[in-house]
Amino acid sequence: MAASALAWALRAARQVLPSPFTRQVRGRYVDWRMLRDVKRRRLAYEYADERLRINAIRKNTLLPKELQEVADKEIANLPRDSCPVRIRNRCVLTSRPRGVKRRWRLSRIVFRHFADHAEMSGIQRAMW
Amino acid sequence: STSSVLSSEREESTASKDSTTEVASKSQEGTAETPKQKLLDIIGNMKVEVSYRKKLQQLKTREIKKQAKNKLEGLDSEGAALQRTTEDIQRGKPLNPELVEAASAVASSLPFNKKQTESELLAQLRRHEETTDKQKKGGTVNLRNVISEMAVQRQSPSQRGARLSSRISLELGEDGQRIKPERSPESFDSRSLRVGRRLNIFTKASTETEDALKTVSSPTIWDLEFAKEIAAMTAQPPRNGFEEMIQWTKEGILWEFPIDNEAGMEDDAEFHEHIFLEKHLEVFPKQGPIRHFMELVICGLSKNPYLTVKQKIEHIEWFHKYFEEKKELLQEM
Repeated sequence: MAASALAWALRAARQVLPSPFTRQVRGRYVDWRMLRDVKRRRLAYEYADERLRINAIRKNTLLPKELQEVADKEIANLPRDSCPVRIRNRCVLTSRPRGVKRRWRLSRIVFRHFADHAEMSGIQRAMW
Repeated sequence: STSSVLSSEREESTASKDSTTEVASKSQEGTAETPKQKLLDIIGNMKVEVSYRKKLQQLKTREIKKQAKNKLEGLDSEGAALQRTTEDIQRGKPLNPELVEAASAVASSLPFNKKQTESELLAQLRRHEETTDKQKKGGTVNLRNVISEMAVQRQSPSQRGARLSSRISLELGEDGQRIKPERSPESFDSRSLRVGRRLNIFTKASTETEDALKTVSSPTIWDLEFAKEIAAMTAQPPRNGFEEMIQWTKEGILWEFPIDNEAGMEDDAEFHEHIFLEKHLEVFPKQGPIRHFMELVICGLSKNPYLTVKQKIEHIEWFHKYFEEKKELLQEM
């Protein structure tokens, strides 16, 4: 996640274009959805501490309710992409949202392709 | 001690300035302390802070020295005072009393042996004065004398031929390699370099310091490029698996064995800084729900092994700031 945040920063730095409104067509990500996911991960990392602290105020029974309501409003005011729930573990190579194995961050199709060509370390076809 | 000498010299210059101002405004002397006196008082009051570990080391070294010195000190304590006066008399020119005062003030501010530092400072000052006196009189290197002693060497034409032929031998030995004249390399046949009186123009230490300064102050881009090129040329591909593993360990791809569980973790804080966090709660009110809440926060943080002490303190400070902002709201209730 930190690596993707770094990559995002590098990407943003390299896009020094004559006008700030045009965007490069050929970027480093497979598609725009992957880019949006990267943005969400970066924001979630930045706001992680704040969200944790405000939630600690909201989710306890000791503090007065008025304070907790104020905290509710505050957390709702944070950017929508900063919540970690919106992150989707997409395939790293094809940006497929479903059928992704967490250990390899690859979708089932890509995984199968590599495994059959013996490019996955320690993976063998099961037979018993 | 050089830095203290420099500072004492600076003080001496300011002291001399102060003395000139004093001469101009003599009437104000009686009312207030002289600024020079004030300066010396300030220096005397300044105490150099040394960390505890360093203090222990210094105490140990001092004790060892004291034990060695104690036998001699009893005898020399009386002679030392006499020696100092005789040395002063020997120099002929006594040191500036302002300098001596400044040196004593600086020595008193340092935590080491005051007598020793004072004597060292005064010795340094004396040496400085000596060199300045010497230069004024012209006692240092006189170039004329040096050049007059040097003579131009005349080459004889008969010896020239022999010299040239002896330099490179075109004979081939058994292996097909050239035979080198087996002599220690001497640039002149009749005379060698090391014969003769030393001229004492250069001193060794100065050239060394110059070289050191040069390398530190100017690493140009070309030097860096050159260094990179050399590194690339010398980095041969690994000949076997062991060398490959060594290379990977250097890059950081492979861990170091036996595995150290705390590799990469640079937590310099002690365990008590992680666990006993109540001292950060002093800014919070002593009673009430906020205190209760913060005590729970502290309890949770003390059990967390993954955060650094800095991060924990940042959490607590954020809560403090948050509750400060919401104070008006809280007081309405």
